[in-house]
Amino acid sequence: MTEFLINNMAPIIFAFMVIFMLVGFPVAFALAANGVVFGLIGIELGLIGPQIFQALPDRVFGVMSNDTLLAIPFFTFMGLILERSGMAEDLLDTIGQLFGPLRGGLAFAVIFVGALLAATTGVVAASVISMGLISLPIMLRYGYDKRLASGVIAASGTLAQIIPPSLVLIIMADQLGRSVGDMYKGAFIPGFVLTGLYVGYVVLITLFKPSHAPALPPEARSLRGAKLALRVLTTLVPPLFLIFLVLGTIFLGIATPTEGGAMGATGALIMAIMRKRLSWSLLKQAMETTAKLTTFVVFILVGARVFSLTFYGVDGHRWVEHLLTDLPGGEIGFLIVTNILIFFLAFFLDFFELSFIVVPLLGPVADKLGIDLIWFGVLLAVNMQTSFMHPPFGFALFYLRSVAPASIKTTDIYWGAIPFVCIQIIMVGLVIMFPQMVTFGLDEDVKVDLDKVIIEMQDSGYGVPETPPGISGTPEENAPAEEDPNKAIMDSMKQDAAK
Amino acid sequence: MNALLKLSGLIDALTERVGKSLIWLVLIMTIISAGNAVMRYTIHYSSNAFLEIQWYLFSAIFLLGAGYTLKKNEHVRIDLVAGKFSKRGQTWIDIFGIIFFLMPMAIAIMYLSWPVFMLAIETNEQSNNAGGLTVWPARLMVPVGFFLLVLQGLSELIKRVGFLKGLCPDPTEKPKGPTAEEELALAIKAQKGEL
Repeated sequence: MTEFLINNMAPIIFAFMVIFMLVGFPVAFALAANGVVFGLIGIELGLIGPQIFQALPDRVFGVMSNDTLLAIPFFTFMGLILERSGMAEDLLDTIGQLFGPLRGGLAFAVIFVGALLAATTGVVAASVISMGLISLPIMLRYGYDKRLASGVIAASGTLAQIIPPSLVLIIMADQLGRSVGDMYKGAFIPGFVLTGLYVGYVVLITLFKPSHAPALPPEARSLRGAKLALRVLTTLVPPLFLIFLVLGTIFLGIATPTEGGAMGATGALIMAIMRKRLSWSLLKQAMETTAKLTTFVVFILVGARVFSLTFYGVDGHRWVEHLLTDLPGGEIGFLIVTNILIFFLAFFLDFFELSFIVVPLLGPVADKLGIDLIWFGVLLAVNMQTSFMHPPFGFALFYLRSVAPASIKTTDIYWGAIPFVCIQIIMVGLVIMFPQMVTFGLDEDVKVDLDKVIIEMQDSGYGVPETPPGISGTPEENAPAEEDPNKAIMDSMKQDAAK
Repeated sequence: MNALLKLSGLIDALTERVGKSLIWLVLIMTIISAGNAVMRYTIHYSSNAFLEIQWYLFSAIFLLGAGYTLKKNEHVRIDLVAGKFSKRGQTWIDIFGIIFFLMPMAIAIMYLSWPVFMLAIETNEQSNNAGGLTVWPARLMVPVGFFLLVLQGLSELIKRVGFLKGLCPDPTEKPKGPTAEEELALAIKAQKGEL
């Protein structure tokens, strides 16, 4: 029994992690508890040094002083203020008028505005709600197919996940040990290509099923000519200004992504004040939601770090690595399997859970296989975007349901989402086939942010001395890990334990 | 049991007060960070103290706010299985989770992080960055944050036992009134009505 436990500790911990989380208690605490419980068992069995828990406060401290994560509250705050500033409504109204005369015009407007909102607010719920309330009724009134209308709205809303500045990309950068700026640059072209694929799908619909996406009749358009042109220009100013303030300053190197988020949030506040949309209650609500979101997100990470302390302590990472590097097909095989895994996990887990729990297990393996981690991160981000559209749990569908008129059946929303989930899968395939989409915008040598690497790699420094038979452990560690102060401490602990 | 429920009420009031004060740090942090970027670009002035105060505030939000977020029942769960249970079943899960998951890990981190704070005080630990801040306030936030989490955990435990005994209302019941998403929808509808 003890023998069995010792030899199979990593899979056992992993299985219990799944069970602990499925119990339905908050993920952060379940994960941390898993780490503590199995840490004690590991010490009892002599697998881990008794001092392992001394590293716990340090784990928490590492999360606290993480500059990258600081961007999470900023971008959340910015999105919450912006969604109530009326910008989305103005955009949908005006762009709808502009594209209205075209066949499929309203659908194009939704996609275009979805992409613009994605580059500013980055809040899926807000985009979907605004579009569902403003564009959906007009689309239905003029004879759009219900499924097409709801599908295009849900899908365009989720663009916020892949087009920078998105929270997923920030967390992905953090977990994979790359800079957020590079992750943003890498996601740019795939974001546009995906938007293009949505447009392409609507074009196909207008060609083969014109009755599903008719043009607006003249009486539906209140503005035209110079008046319309002026309206379009004035409504485009605020989002473009914000995009410059955030992404422009980041890409030009004026501000760090964290500061870009803070500038964007300040810009959004100023804009909301100028439009007389900012009230005390709105401000307080936005701050409170930001504080709570930051807390639960960062706590999942704290939980994951406590878990990984034990999991890596018993060489769990080598077990995962062993499982994944032996896949047939090498690099491509690994990418396909991980993407299928993420795709199905995304039915049950949200992207915070996926990025904090699953990605740190996959990242080091990808790195060892020579996969560019920016490419890998963007790929997973595109994949995780589907988790918002999966029927029946997808959040975008849920929010759309909450604002859609009763004439749209829930099954319409589900069926409407399916073509877009397929487009998403095609997009994952495209990113795998054409990594240039991601690497094009990056510098020749992807610059490695040393600090981040250390944070990422310190986990892989444990368990060097004793490698259980049957697990192909390579004794040499990645260079950055050598610089990690924690590794030295952990190694000495291990040696103590061995004595 | 009544004394315990009274204690739970006191803890809730404390948590509520801490949470409601903490949210202002979001605004302060935003202004400091944006101001820091602007100053560095315009008048080329920057200081590590400004950079460090940002993550001090960030840490204060999530560490000291952990109990508040617990009280609001906003820590993310996977309710795939639990969602199928009755209200009482879910309450039992929470009681089990608080006793066996939340408490041990929170007490462990609280207990282990206290000496780290004491050491920072004794050695007068300073930031590694030139012009940085003194470190003990950051070290102190860990045990205090987890202490608040333990306290709130205790209060949640009392309320759940009370609920099972029929002594108090369902503690996970969301306060009446629209959610943030519903409010957004209302605001857009109101605006459409004006147009």
